[in-house]
Amino acid sequence: MTIKLIKNFGKINSIVLLICVILLILEFAGHRHGEFKIEEFLFFPALFGYISCIIIFKVGVALRSIFMRDEDYYD
Amino acid sequence: MINTFPPGLIMFLGAFLIPFLPHLTRQIYMIFLVFLSALSLMNGFGTHLTINLLDYNFIIHHSDNLSFPFAIVFHIAAFITIIYGSHKIDWKENVAITSYAGAAIAALHAGDLFTLFVWWEATAFTSVFLILGGNNSRSFRAAFRYIVIQVGSGMLLLAGAIIFLYSNDHANFGKMSIDETSGLLIFLAFGIKAAFPFLNGWLQDTYPEASEVGTVALSSFTTKLAIYALARSFAGVDILIYIGALMTFFPIFFAVIENDLRRVLTYSLNNQLGFMVVAVGIGTELALNGAVAHAFAHIIYKGLLFMSMGAVLYRVGTCKASELGGLFNYMPITAVCSIIGAVSISAFPIFSGFVAKSLIMSSLGYEGLTFIYFMLLFASAGVLHHSGIKIPFFAFFAHNSGLKPKEAPINMIVAMIISSILCVAIGVFPSLFYQILPYDVSYQPYDFSHVLSQMQLLTFAAFAFICLWHFKIYPPELNSTVLNSDWFYRKMIPGVLENVIIGFKNLNSQFNIFFTKIFQNTQKFIDNLMYKNRVFDREAGFDTLIVVQVFGVVLLILIILQFSKF
Repeated sequence: MTIKLIKNFGKINSIVLLICVILLILEFAGHRHGEFKIEEFLFFPALFGYISCIIIFKVGVALRSIFMRDEDYYD
Repeated sequence: MINTFPPGLIMFLGAFLIPFLPHLTRQIYMIFLVFLSALSLMNGFGTHLTINLLDYNFIIHHSDNLSFPFAIVFHIAAFITIIYGSHKIDWKENVAITSYAGAAIAALHAGDLFTLFVWWEATAFTSVFLILGGNNSRSFRAAFRYIVIQVGSGMLLLAGAIIFLYSNDHANFGKMSIDETSGLLIFLAFGIKAAFPFLNGWLQDTYPEASEVGTVALSSFTTKLAIYALARSFAGVDILIYIGALMTFFPIFFAVIENDLRRVLTYSLNNQLGFMVVAVGIGTELALNGAVAHAFAHIIYKGLLFMSMGAVLYRVGTCKASELGGLFNYMPITAVCSIIGAVSISAFPIFSGFVAKSLIMSSLGYEGLTFIYFMLLFASAGVLHHSGIKIPFFAFFAHNSGLKPKEAPINMIVAMIISSILCVAIGVFPSLFYQILPYDVSYQPYDFSHVLSQMQLLTFAAFAFICLWHFKIYPPELNSTVLNSDWFYRKMIPGVLENVIIGFKNLNSQFNIFFTKIFQNTQKFIDNLMYKNRVFDREAGFDTLIVVQVFGVVLLILIILQFSKF
């Protein structure tokens, strides 16, 4: 199954996935405290990072229709 | 005597000899100038040189704990940029880079607002030649826009300085308040160069138009000089926190849709300036340390990213994401350096961004600024997205563009490797790095919670990108222009003015027709009166007509005057 995953998902991508899993497991290795209480929720930074990236992508795509012009727009 | 010279002045003056030297001697000479200038840093803190001119004391050389770290990093940046550009045979950019860096360094040591003004303008006039160095019609036009805005900032500074001198009997470059007119004008002057929201258009508009070397030099000095000036004069001004937060926030989205990778980096530069502005706004010792540390680290890793993209531009001739890809096999050293810059800016542990940004994030935590903290955390994920991933990925990986360039020239590689080593060294030895910061604050960036949180945040943000790309949700990069605040003065205002002018023209022609008609009708009327009714036995000529009309107007005025008495 691992080989199939690496084959489908690519070598580097699989390594990133592996690191992600390790980082989630490390959450249980000790108490992770944050600047604010909400940060101490289980997997908060991971979720925050993932969701932020998706939001940035979504908003970016939406903004394309508003702010994108032809390359020679100013010429 | 030379010791009391402000650092930078020797570079500024020495630059004028550059055209007379042959290529290799010129490179050595420029590096020698940087070292000579750096020697003045050994003088220690205090005021070292004042000149009395026109009954005013110009404080030419003042050094303290705030100017010192900026001066160090400006010298490092000048040194690296000179190495990076040493393949260029043309001397014009060499003169511009050396004098520009010199002016910026000298500005750091200005002790009064008028000396600051002189160097502030000098940075503008020297750096504009770097944009002209792009050597095409686009860069030529961009250079004009750039100089107008930079000089505009200088004029605001001068106006503020004059009012400040008038009301305070001195013009020392120190703490100011935005409640006073002088403070507000100077705040705006700094704000333009620090690329505040809506004042930022020039940055994204002009920097990417410079040559591959010019952009590296530009990215280092002007904006960071503005951050230094803000830190000196407006530390702790609350509004900066919100301005900075906006600066971190908006450029992210623009960077995501921008196609030109050097322009993506200017958005990212804007976003990084936001972090520094927030820190200046907080104004505590920890936060100011954070602002300075971030500026220091930023100059090096941003320079590194610009250098790697410059190398690509130099070899391939374009920096557009839509036209690049798959260069890793051909430019592996450039790619690795670019990745080091990317992980540094993303603030991965053991790289410089991490130890610098942590100071700012922690100071936000101490002050309890929850909302701003999470905005900046969101922006951190954004930095990873556009600078950490987009830059190296679209240039060196993504799809195969079919381009097969050579590796970057050796001097570029040396410059990039020096920057890469600095990025890692700062990240690995933070305590050494913290020693040059303005205040003694004991801070430990590497603890379990901090490292784990940051790693989770960044790795999962990267994972999100991987998912989007792998499942082909991420849209392809398109050749395009992204509208930014420069749209206001490049499109909107010219558009409005054009319509106003056309309107006036129409109105004018209507008026002309109207008056011509009146003229003709009067002539006809007088003709009839004089000729047909035989008052005179001749036709009313042009002279008669004018006399009659002048007389009529005088009569009209007399009547109006008569009536206005009542």
